[in-house]
Amino acid sequence: MDNVLKNPGMKKSLGKSLLYTLPMFLITFMFMTGGRPDFSNPSSSLAILIAFMLVNVLYFLMHYTGKTDKYRVVLFIIFALTLSFTLIKNMVAVRNSMSFSQADILECKIPFCHLVIPMMILPAAFSKSIIFPGSILNGFANISSMVVLWSVATLVLGRGFCSWGCFYGGWDDGFSRMRKKPLVKNINEIWKWMPFAVLLMVALTAALSLVPTYCAWICPFKAVTEFEQVTSVESATKAGIFFSLFAGLVVVLPVMTKKRTQCSYLCPLGAVNSISNKITPFTIKIDKNACNECYKCVEVCPMFALSKENIKDGKVSIFCSKCGKCVDACSKNAIHYGIKGIPAGTMKNFSRNLFLFVSFLFMAIFSAGSIISTLQSLIKLIL
Amino acid sequence: MKKLKIIAGLVWAFLCLVLIIILFPGLTGFSASLSKAPFMKIHPRYSGGEVEKQIISEGCTLDVREPVFKGLNSDRKNGFVQLDWRGTVPDEIRDTVDYNLDGTPDFYVLVDTKTQKTEIKPFNSKVKNVGISTPTSYGWAVRINLTK
Repeated sequence: MDNVLKNPGMKKSLGKSLLYTLPMFLITFMFMTGGRPDFSNPSSSLAILIAFMLVNVLYFLMHYTGKTDKYRVVLFIIFALTLSFTLIKNMVAVRNSMSFSQADILECKIPFCHLVIPMMILPAAFSKSIIFPGSILNGFANISSMVVLWSVATLVLGRGFCSWGCFYGGWDDGFSRMRKKPLVKNINEIWKWMPFAVLLMVALTAALSLVPTYCAWICPFKAVTEFEQVTSVESATKAGIFFSLFAGLVVVLPVMTKKRTQCSYLCPLGAVNSISNKITPFTIKIDKNACNECYKCVEVCPMFALSKENIKDGKVSIFCSKCGKCVDACSKNAIHYGIKGIPAGTMKNFSRNLFLFVSFLFMAIFSAGSIISTLQSLIKLIL
Repeated sequence: MKKLKIIAGLVWAFLCLVLIIILFPGLTGFSASLSKAPFMKIHPRYSGGEVEKQIISEGCTLDVREPVFKGLNSDRKNGFVQLDWRGTVPDEIRDTVDYNLDGTPDFYVLVDTKTQKTEIKPFNSKVKNVGISTPTSYGWAVRINLTK
């Protein structure tokens, strides 16, 4: 973890923190238990209890300590790990392997993920169909539910989706925290525009070939989810690309730079989410009157969303994923969660409370299924 | 103007709060509504196309799907026809198929389900070769490549 400076402005008393946690407590209880806790299955009950306690303790600590990113990242990493575990476990149970076969494609049994969305827009508009071998409505990770979940999340959180909702982001976020200091510091800022180039490339190639090219050829997270069965030179090349990109962009570069390099340099959905940052009501505000220009926030930003120019202008860039790392790092409480329309430096606590509730609730409920499923498997393994 | 901006920001933020609260309880309903949108169907390149005719034999049914040439907004020169054998698939599948429903056979297909070896004998110059031949959860599927 980074050495973050104390940020007393957002701390709350024990009573107030408990009060702020109460709505999260009730809503997550309803979602995790369905409103009717069933104690007939001990391993399931224990898994639900642990997951429930985890999310609520983290949310409480965000209010009590005033720190956001420090506790967000715990759930975010757990989400990424448990999602991959659950997905791989299900695939091994069904197929005895992490790879999918031609039969799975022909039967449209491939789980859909949000990264396909940028590639399906043009074909959906022109051919009135989805270029993905998944299920429209039924089964695990069906296309309709994933599109609804992402659409609402990106509307509400903008690029905040990349730090509060994406079940892959926790991988490079986790690896970017492995070292205390970066080995590579000077990175040309031009690279942060790369996702827009990738977006353009995959959207056009997918429309022309009718193949979701990012998933078929580039996605590093195939390495920790599922990939095409290696049966030819082509499928072996694809597997090689997936594992190389995962090793390079998700493991090695984040460790060396302390930046989320996959999210910042490659992800085409990140580019779309950056655009929706213009729509969301939630943002990060810079109070120029309180800022002492120490640029600690610029240094810690994992998404290349802050530069010295941004601080001088008093505005964060469209690349901001609202992770809260800069907010936690600011000793003057000059950089803070805000709502568009409300001037910087005002209603800081209110804006943070509202944003935290919305974003954390999304992550808590979205991640609950995979966390509970993983815990159940671990409990069964131990008992 | 400043006040109006503050009010608009707050209203939008509270609307987002409501959206997130109703998102998960309403997910099944929202997804079902979205699935009815005209573009929410799988491209025939993946689904294999609509079933054009069924040939029922003892223990096994052959679904001949309509040929797929569909591109982004117009047909492409190359496509395929998908054949699905459902039910108890014999060790050796032999069928003569008229995919374009013109009353004359277009190709003869032979599948050895033990070795997965699949051969075709085209009777029509538009029939090219075997694209995919694989066992499936329902039996066996073959895609034969075609030209228009």
